[in-house]
Amino acid sequence: MTRGSRRYLRPDAIARIHRLELRARAVVEGALAGLHKSPFKGQSVEFLQHREYVRGDDLRRVDWKVWGRQDRFTVKEFEEETNLRLTLLVDGSTSMDYRGGAEAVPPRPTKYDAAATLAASLAWLALSHGDAVGCGVFDDRLRATVPARTKRSQLASICEVLEAPRNAGAGDFQRVLRSVAEALPKRGMIVIVSDLLGDRDGIFAGLQLLRTRGHDLALVHVLDDDEIDFRFEGATRFEGLELPAHIACNPRALREGYLAAVEAFLAEVRRRAAAVRCDYALVRTGEPLDAALVRFLSRRASVSV
Amino acid sequence: MPTLEFAPLFWWGLPLVAAPVLIHLINLLRQRRVKWAAMEFLLASQRRYRTRVLLRQIALLALRTLAVLGLVAALAQPRWRTAGGIAGGDATTHLVILDDSCSMGDTTGAEADLETDAAAGHTRRATAFDRGRRVVERIAADLAATAGRHRLAVAVTSQLATSSDELPPLLPLLPFTDIAPGTIQTVRDAVGRAAAGDGAAGLREACPAMRRLAAAAGSRRVVWLVGDFRSRDWLGSDEPAATLRQLAADGATLRLVDCAGDGPGGNLTLERLEVVGGVPAANVLLPVDVEVRNDGSTSVRDVAIELREDGGGRPGVRIDEIPAGGMVSRRFDVRFTAPGSHTIEAALAGDVLKADDGRQAVIDVVDRVDVLVVDGAPDAASGGGAGSSGDGFYVATALAPGAGAATGLRPRVVPPAALAATDLSRFACLWILDVERLDAAAVAAVEAYARAGGGVVFFCGPRTRGDVVNDTLHRSGEGLFPVPLAGAIDLLPDAKAAAQTPDVTVEDHPVVAVLAGQRNPLLDAVRIDRFWAIDRGFDAAGHGVRRLLSLRTGQPLVIEKTFGDGLVVAVLTTAAPEWNNWARANPSWVVVLLELEGHLARLRRRAESVTVGEPVTVRLEAGVDEPDVHFLVPPDAAVVRQTAVPTSGPMLEATLPATAHAGLVEARWRRLDGTERQRSFAVNVDPGEGRLERAGVGRLEAALRGVPFRYDRAADVAATAGDFAGRPLALPLLIVVAALLLLEQLVAYAAGYHPVARRPTA
Repeated sequence: MTRGSRRYLRPDAIARIHRLELRARAVVEGALAGLHKSPFKGQSVEFLQHREYVRGDDLRRVDWKVWGRQDRFTVKEFEEETNLRLTLLVDGSTSMDYRGGAEAVPPRPTKYDAAATLAASLAWLALSHGDAVGCGVFDDRLRATVPARTKRSQLASICEVLEAPRNAGAGDFQRVLRSVAEALPKRGMIVIVSDLLGDRDGIFAGLQLLRTRGHDLALVHVLDDDEIDFRFEGATRFEGLELPAHIACNPRALREGYLAAVEAFLAEVRRRAAAVRCDYALVRTGEPLDAALVRFLSRRASVSV
Repeated sequence: MPTLEFAPLFWWGLPLVAAPVLIHLINLLRQRRVKWAAMEFLLASQRRYRTRVLLRQIALLALRTLAVLGLVAALAQPRWRTAGGIAGGDATTHLVILDDSCSMGDTTGAEADLETDAAAGHTRRATAFDRGRRVVERIAADLAATAGRHRLAVAVTSQLATSSDELPPLLPLLPFTDIAPGTIQTVRDAVGRAAAGDGAAGLREACPAMRRLAAAAGSRRVVWLVGDFRSRDWLGSDEPAATLRQLAADGATLRLVDCAGDGPGGNLTLERLEVVGGVPAANVLLPVDVEVRNDGSTSVRDVAIELREDGGGRPGVRIDEIPAGGMVSRRFDVRFTAPGSHTIEAALAGDVLKADDGRQAVIDVVDRVDVLVVDGAPDAASGGGAGSSGDGFYVATALAPGAGAATGLRPRVVPPAALAATDLSRFACLWILDVERLDAAAVAAVEAYARAGGGVVFFCGPRTRGDVVNDTLHRSGEGLFPVPLAGAIDLLPDAKAAAQTPDVTVEDHPVVAVLAGQRNPLLDAVRIDRFWAIDRGFDAAGHGVRRLLSLRTGQPLVIEKTFGDGLVVAVLTTAAPEWNNWARANPSWVVVLLELEGHLARLRRRAESVTVGEPVTVRLEAGVDEPDVHFLVPPDAAVVRQTAVPTSGPMLEATLPATAHAGLVEARWRRLDGTERQRSFAVNVDPGEGRLERAGVGRLEAALRGVPFRYDRAADVAATAGDFAGRPLALPLLIVVAALLLLEQLVAYAAGYHPVARRPTA
């Protein structure tokens, strides 16, 4: 196991989520047979149904026995199980470098660390089920990518990408997701791990594009506890990680407005994620990540077909 | 205009008001830096709450600043005055009137209260005056620590009582002084120089000057009366109440501080040391009365009085018992062989008030005392010699019987015509014997003499003309002669009891006291044949006429009436045994005439007794004496030079304005011929100062009904007590501070400056 895999794969977390099955909510196209149902019907072991022949159908799928008995052209349809093509997109923008809870024991990870850990965990799970897993880290563009593969060494490649030095900048979701849509001609599952701080119209426009292309989408929203609860006290100067702005204030004075803005933000994200039929999960860096994974996977299992 | 006043501490603490601002600035400097990702939410919150946050921060800063300001102000003893000058402008003037009268030397109740006498180098019992000084020092110290500006002036009653009637009194002890911590020592030094005097001028006597002084003290004033508040001063006179009422009406706050000690008292006072008769001439026995008063509540036994003559010891006298509140006198005789000023002193063993335990008297002894005998007899010009048988002879013989009986008197017999040209002031008394008529100049001279305290004796006889006496001497009561004469009549024998009833009866009068009592064979032997009857319609008693002797018929024989400061005695019969037999071989004649001379001259001699605080006047002869007089005054014989000024007559007068201490005042001057003259005066304390009964707050309140004042004992006084400095605001301010802090908490809570357990759901 590489240094990156040791950093982002926690044995305890993996042990707790090992028995869970990562199932796609919709049937996706896959090169490998597996547990995931394929959206496509073709020659397969399990017969699905007969249907009327329509022009253009492959004549090899015409069931001639039916034609001989009933004098009508029908074609046989088979259910075919395919491998999941899972693509993990991790937000590597500057805002993901925030680490809160300086006094917390143990120290809380940065949002990027938490996001990378989640991504690596998901990759391991998918690979352990024979699914193809790819990964990309992005800010204003895709910085590093690993194409989807099923080989066991794929996990190490993913972790290397996740651990690679980042040229942190502001995130440009729309651009990134457009490039992802173009780079993934086959439908699959795309999990985006991000704090979603940025151009939210761009974010959801990109998600809409991916959805249009038939991808199954999941949005893992990583935020630090500080960003959610804003429990600062005493005179503080906040300096923007991405925005060139600063505020010197007594945080208590702005807390109410901040919390209102955060709640509005989270509500908007949930609403718009639902609009594009994208699974959404909020993960706090202060909570155990395995619990976050369990909650995420349980949620997906409960809605799976 | 209402005034808010603070102690100086306020100005020292005022910079603390900037503390909240400074803390705010320091917090800004110490603010931590946080690299923050979710700036958009923070910016949104700031945009939304910028105005509200700013207002709340300003409100919080203002509340905290006000709280600190209120706390500092509360600690600075703020006071609110509804009367007075411009806020923070006019000072409160504290006028301390310190009683330095003799009674303030009382050490009652000071058994454990000792005072260090720096000059004497030992400790002694504290007097009421010592406590008064401490009160003044405490007032100064309290005022220095009290809010507002305070001016303090200290005056002692002896200064005020002798000040001019027109001008505000000077304050040589401590003029108006702004009180600050640095000036307390100035006050201490000033009052340290003062001491209880021997005078009687207390707070009551200082009332007129007190009014003038308070009027000059400004609009906001507190008058402190620091004294012993004796009953005799405050319960027997309306003047203190009237003065204090006027001061209160003028807006002054009155503080009465009682410095008298608590205790049984028991003070003995030498009430009197007085030559009570006799002729102050060389080799003449002079009777002297010494009288002791017991002001205690229990009788005092075995009281020894030490006596001294001209500084030398002589046997003292002893009083077996003096009842509580009573007086006992003892008489002793002194005889001085040489003319000049002689001193006798009496002293009691020391008690709570030492100043009234001693007394002295000065007796100016002359070789012979001149008396003028004006004889209306035609042969009076002969001088009333031994061969004469007129009135003058019998009077002169009685006053100066001869070498065997030294009376010290030297009668000079003159005719009526010589009266106007004679300087009457040289004579101890005048004897005018059966004069037919006195011219107007003579009447004026005699009346002037009597008005000035001289004694005049008239004898009436056959030459006396009733109408002339009534017109020139009586003048319907305006003149010298005590009664109007009706006519000379015979005293007819008493047909019923002629053998038993004496012609003369004795009235209650000190001159004839020696003849009073049981029947006196000498007086019984006196036969009155003829006398001048007075007008029956004249109301003798209503005109102040007092009888010495009466006839058995009830008609007056010898009568007396005051005239001006003097006395006039009229004997309504002859001196010579012409209308009576009294002067013929009857010893009572000599006794009564010598007693009468002493009685008449007593007034002139008594006038020379001086009480502390009174002026001492020396009369000089113009053209004989130089006008410069040096007074040597007690206690250290300091020389006070005075220049004699002319009076209405041919005399000059040099006056020592006021005496402050008991003792001998010696006046020295030169005559134009170069000879030196001197005269001594005994200056004694007012024996009334020995009455140490305290009025007490209850009786003071009754005596000063309607006068707002605050009464404190010396040990309890505090300058900041009472409402002179306005209403204290410390407690209300602390309540306001608490309210401000509560409001600050509420605003801080409303501003969100508090932990919140709220957590948004994921």
